[in-house]
Amino acid sequence: MLAKLAWNGMKSKRKDYIILLAGLVMSIAIFYMFQTLALNRDFTSENAMISSMQLVFNVGSCLLAAVTFFYILYTNMFLLSLRQQEYGMFMLLGAKKQYIKRLMFVENLLIGIIALIIGIAAGAGLSQLTAELIMGQLDVTLEGYQPFYLPSLAVTLLFFLVLFFVTAVWNHIKLSRLQVLELVHAETKSDQVPQQPKKNIVTITAGILALAAGWLSLIFMESLRELGVFSAAIMTTLGTYLLFSSLLPVITNAMKKKQKWNENGIQSFTLSQLTFRIHSLKKLLATAAMLIALGAGAISGGMAFKNNAENIAERSAVYDAVVHSPTAEEEEILEDITFTEAAEYRYKKGEEYNYYLKEDLEKQRPQIQLTTDNVKRVEADLPDQEGSLEEVEEESASIPNEWSQFLTMTAAEDYSRRPLIVSNALYDDIEAEEQVVFIGKADDFLAYRDQWAKLDELREEKLASSEEVMASTSKYSMYENYNTIATGTVFMGFFLGIAFLAMMASCLMFKVLSGAAKDIPRYEMLRKIGVPKKLLNQSVFKELFLVFLFPALLGITHVLIGMNMFSFIIVNPYYRIWISLLLFTTIYVLYYLLTVKMYKSVVLPEEK
Amino acid sequence: MIDSVVNVSNVSKVYGSKGENQFQALEEVSFSMQEGEFIGIMGASGSGKTTLLNTISTLDNVSRGQIEIAGTTITEMKEQALADFRARKLGFIFQDFNLLESMTVYENIALPLFLQKMGRGRVKEKVQHVADILDIRDILSKYPAIISGGQKQRTAAARALVHNPSIILADEPTGALDSSNAASLLETLQRLNEEHQVSIMMVTHDAYSASYCERILFLEDGQLYKQINKNGTREEFFKNILDEQAEAGRKKL
Repeated sequence: MLAKLAWNGMKSKRKDYIILLAGLVMSIAIFYMFQTLALNRDFTSENAMISSMQLVFNVGSCLLAAVTFFYILYTNMFLLSLRQQEYGMFMLLGAKKQYIKRLMFVENLLIGIIALIIGIAAGAGLSQLTAELIMGQLDVTLEGYQPFYLPSLAVTLLFFLVLFFVTAVWNHIKLSRLQVLELVHAETKSDQVPQQPKKNIVTITAGILALAAGWLSLIFMESLRELGVFSAAIMTTLGTYLLFSSLLPVITNAMKKKQKWNENGIQSFTLSQLTFRIHSLKKLLATAAMLIALGAGAISGGMAFKNNAENIAERSAVYDAVVHSPTAEEEEILEDITFTEAAEYRYKKGEEYNYYLKEDLEKQRPQIQLTTDNVKRVEADLPDQEGSLEEVEEESASIPNEWSQFLTMTAAEDYSRRPLIVSNALYDDIEAEEQVVFIGKADDFLAYRDQWAKLDELREEKLASSEEVMASTSKYSMYENYNTIATGTVFMGFFLGIAFLAMMASCLMFKVLSGAAKDIPRYEMLRKIGVPKKLLNQSVFKELFLVFLFPALLGITHVLIGMNMFSFIIVNPYYRIWISLLLFTTIYVLYYLLTVKMYKSVVLPEEK
Repeated sequence: MIDSVVNVSNVSKVYGSKGENQFQALEEVSFSMQEGEFIGIMGASGSGKTTLLNTISTLDNVSRGQIEIAGTTITEMKEQALADFRARKLGFIFQDFNLLESMTVYENIALPLFLQKMGRGRVKEKVQHVADILDIRDILSKYPAIISGGQKQRTAAARALVHNPSIILADEPTGALDSSNAASLLETLQRLNEEHQVSIMMVTHDAYSASYCERILFLEDGQLYKQINKNGTREEFFKNILDEQAEAGRKKL
């Protein structure tokens, strides 16, 4: 009978249970999503560019497990608050405590199991969807990734069953300690008095030190190696938690103390709400900051590996197109491309040498790449060839370095043939068909990927029918080769990024919404004393903005510093990082607006 | 009539839409209240007294009829204008205090003034002034969670008073107070009314509380069926009210 009553009680609080269940399902789904990658060693080792990828996944698993653990504790506290009053009333009416405890225990596990079933199904669906989406975007197919992966399923089941069991026992103990009256009045109990935050110098200092240690490990990851991965993960997390829990109350209090802000319209309410709430929010905000760091970091990392292809290509050659004696078809493709710099050099092929026409080289001095970041135009004088062809051949070593570098690396079709620079008169005497090599630098390398691919294809065909043996690689094929190797890593970055961001979203949203019911009377009262709806709206926007701002700031700082850790494998980890940050910001802002909307629908119901 | 602060004419309120279960909460209620009056509205549960107060406090709209407060016909105003009207012309005291627990007593009282964007100096002056009247000056920096029920209700009264509203509307203000705190609050309201000419309309079901008023309107089943005036001491008035309640009860037998 009581069980039936309890069930009815649950039904009447449907909205709250949906929030609770959604929170649980999300955390399970994402945990599972992460595990489909982390445990699928064949896939990760096959596709990762980093040798210690498995270690990264293990550390990530631990972090995620810790975050999930705290998340589940939050959801559990919410569940308890939902049920306390009703169970108290049952006891008041004479139900035995033993029975109530059993009921609570069963309810706990039941909700856990329902959440697990939906969560794993959602996780598999999400994994499939995300994987397809990313592969579609990257335009690749990766073998070996399985959205439905049994070991991940087992680990997820085990982890959460243990967690739910622990929380059920925890509630059991907590219920034993509470008196009936405490339960009945659980909801009317006034909130805690906002305390003056103690300026805890020790905690703040410890937080700053831990954060500094974490950031230093990120910056010097290359020399610290595995140790760096551990210390970065532990120290950054520790620092974030310490700083948030010690500093946030101080900051919000300082904002409230500033009278010009506080005593201005609805702001006094907004800031009070925030100071009031920050105590219960600070740990969650630290969690959100970490998840933002991991999520935005993973996306930025993935993006950096992807963008790195362009940098690698850029370093491999100055010129985007090198075409020898273009055919009509090739000419046509070249015409589609806007070149910022283009040149044509005439030459003739001999047995051992390529004979380049001095006049063309003189008139169109090319650029060469000296070191990775140093591109310069060739300045060296061209050799004077006074004698016969034989004499010139003998002095072939006298060609200035810069010229021979350009001629062998860029202009030669087969670099086994050494270059010679000859005057008009000598050139005319050489009995060979005149060739011409076109070199060009386009205004935007990436914009013409189709054209480069086509040119490479045509070149393949031409080479197949000639006897050239040591053909040089084109800039585009460098780009493509790198892309192929990096794709797996890019995929993992994006996949994890999405998973972490979803987790962060679900965490923050859960916390905001689960507390919303308690705010209803506050807004109701404000409305009664004549605060216009517009102001109440503003207040909600502002308060949640600040709630969202703090973790984002620290999270992004983590990312900006953390990108250093890829510097050993990526040319420039910060190249175009604004794109991934912009992407993150867009998602975050959308998500902020969604939370505001949902929160408003709870505390500011529409007028009838 | 300049000196009538509230004018209610032929107000009816029907809950529920046509064809469904309709409930007539108010039926053709008419009365007016002079400036500086202290009126009580009495009636059993479900008699419509809270509905009446809600319509006067612009929180609920009427089905028919017209309400005028301080020369403004509120029944014709839009939501936005109503909020502004509430903020400037009305002061509320609720049964359960409705203080914001995240704000100090000072901030709670000052909130209506902050909302009007009043300068800091004047806000302080005004808050201290009402705090003196209500004898809560010592607790201004405290949070509501640690003050007594009586102090909470005084704080609520101070908040209702701080912006010099045309009328204070009180809904069972003593409902959550013990008898000595209740008496003290009622005396305060009476003093505000007598010494500061504050117009007060109070809903109550308690004869003792009602005896502090000057005039009582009796509601039953949504209809105003009687009103009595205080013509002597409070004790006599209290007896009159009890007699009236007894009379009403006898009729039902």
